[in-house]
Amino acid sequence: MIAGFFQGPLVRIIPVGLILLALQRTILVELQVDGVIIQLMTAMAAAAGVAGGSERGAVVGFVLGAMFDLAEGTPLGSTAVAMTVAGVVGGLLALIAADPQWWLQAIFTALGTAAGVAMVPVVRLFVGEEEPFQQQLAVVLPIVALAGAVLSPLLVPLARWCLRMKKAEWKQPTADVAT
Amino acid sequence: MAIYSVGRKRIILALLLTSVLLLTLDLRGNPVIDNVRDAFGRVMEPVEAATGVITNPIEQVWNGIVDYDNLERENQALQDQVDRLVGTQAAAEAAVIEGKELQALYNLPSLSGIDTEVARVIGSAANNLDQVIEINKGSNSGIAVGMPVVNQAGLVGKVTSVTRLTSRVMLVTDARYRIAVKVTSSDGSFEAPVETTPSGLAPDEIADAATTTLPSTSVPGETVPGDDPTASTTPDQLPVPETTLPGASPPPGEFVDPVTGEPIDPSVLEALSELDEPLADVPTTTEIPEAAETTTTTTTTVPVVEKEFGALEGRGRLLLPQIRFLQDNPSLTILQEGDLVETAGGSESLAPSGIPVGRVANRADRPGSGGPLLDVELHADLARLNFVRVVLYRPLSEVEQ
Repeated sequence: MIAGFFQGPLVRIIPVGLILLALQRTILVELQVDGVIIQLMTAMAAAAGVAGGSERGAVVGFVLGAMFDLAEGTPLGSTAVAMTVAGVVGGLLALIAADPQWWLQAIFTALGTAAGVAMVPVVRLFVGEEEPFQQQLAVVLPIVALAGAVLSPLLVPLARWCLRMKKAEWKQPTADVAT
Repeated sequence: MAIYSVGRKRIILALLLTSVLLLTLDLRGNPVIDNVRDAFGRVMEPVEAATGVITNPIEQVWNGIVDYDNLERENQALQDQVDRLVGTQAAAEAAVIEGKELQALYNLPSLSGIDTEVARVIGSAANNLDQVIEINKGSNSGIAVGMPVVNQAGLVGKVTSVTRLTSRVMLVTDARYRIAVKVTSSDGSFEAPVETTPSGLAPDEIADAATTTLPSTSVPGETVPGDDPTASTTPDQLPVPETTLPGASPPPGEFVDPVTGEPIDPSVLEALSELDEPLADVPTTTEIPEAAETTTTTTTTVPVVEKEFGALEGRGRLLLPQIRFLQDNPSLTILQEGDLVETAGGSESLAPSGIPVGRVANRADRPGSGGPLLDVELHADLARLNFVRVVLYRPLSEVEQ
């Protein structure tokens, strides 16, 4: 089991998550775009989905979300659900293309991030919070999605490293195989 | 290429169900989760500190690029504000003294008897929904869940969770925040100062030049510190001393001059209480000596004050908090822009009565018997909180238990 842990993705996801969480709670709280805090953790979950598929994206999203909930004091599991959805959506969108270009990855990451952020008030509604859908959400969603797209060239390779994945290589078939 | 299969679907479903399970356990209150949260906080502390050190120069460069123009505009606005405050300060001082006298006469409760704990703001929420800050004092300092948090300007929020060394404070603007408030209507008879110090004076020039006289409180043969014509009044010598809650007053029987902070001679107060003049129509004059070549005259008519009670609700970061459920009865009072809002108190309220909250900024009438909706401009600038004060107050209903 211990060996499995060290060979699995968690041994990389957790320390990377700690650093991303620290960035989220320090510099990104200060560097707001039009009053909106960029959601680096959610973007990372979506990027993991794009890089490794919906299952791995969900695992990364769940771990990052649980860490976020523990640090922020929000109900444990509430952000984890949202980030899991971000990873799943990123992974499902990545099915569209076999080997997506960087700009396609950016679009998938953006949509996954937006889906994750949009899930937060939905979860809050189920938890029993009154009026979790704020008018601000209309401003928040495009900005965090755009930020996710901009960050995807960094986050997708990082997610690939965390998941111990190598970039797919497509080789031209030899003449024998072609015939 | 990622392939979607039933097996993968099961894993995703399991993760979602695990999240729901954790959510249920946490909402019902689970000591294991609380301990894990505490431990995680300790692990995160050095990582966050190191990240803060590394990213601080980036933050400063960013703020230098983005906020420079805002800072310049804000400086100009603050300069105007300082000028206006100098003009209105004399009227406020007279009102403070009169208010204290009335409080003592009727043995009204005041905020000064409640202990407070000063804390530094060490963080804020990292998501876009919650309006929460973290402070560096916790249960070790006597802080408990529900206690109100203020700064020198007024109400900031309430404590929502406490660890040994830190606490989380939900700000007034959070959509989950509710508190009972009273709206003090001036009934339109309050006269704003008609002449104020013109803009353009530097703060140090104002500090040198401004002199305040309070003819309404002076008694022949007696000397009140505030009446000393040589005593200068500067913007940083506000009526609220450092150790006082906003809106607080000294205990009954003890009076402090708002200008100097020194106790007022009781004989002066006796003479004040014997004044035959009604409290209304108290003229107050602020004179700025010839050195500044300006004169400010402020005449204030103390209005007949009416109060209405309602519930203040936060509405998120970008929207002003709002008061609902007010029954606006024109025969009693008409609520309007500029009315003062402060906490209502009460045996079950989490905050004591009299903490200043803000002023009514907008009024919108609703059809039916709902009464108006009032947008409230907060006194406290919640975007720039550095130090706050936790009021160690427990509701009377809890104290009795």
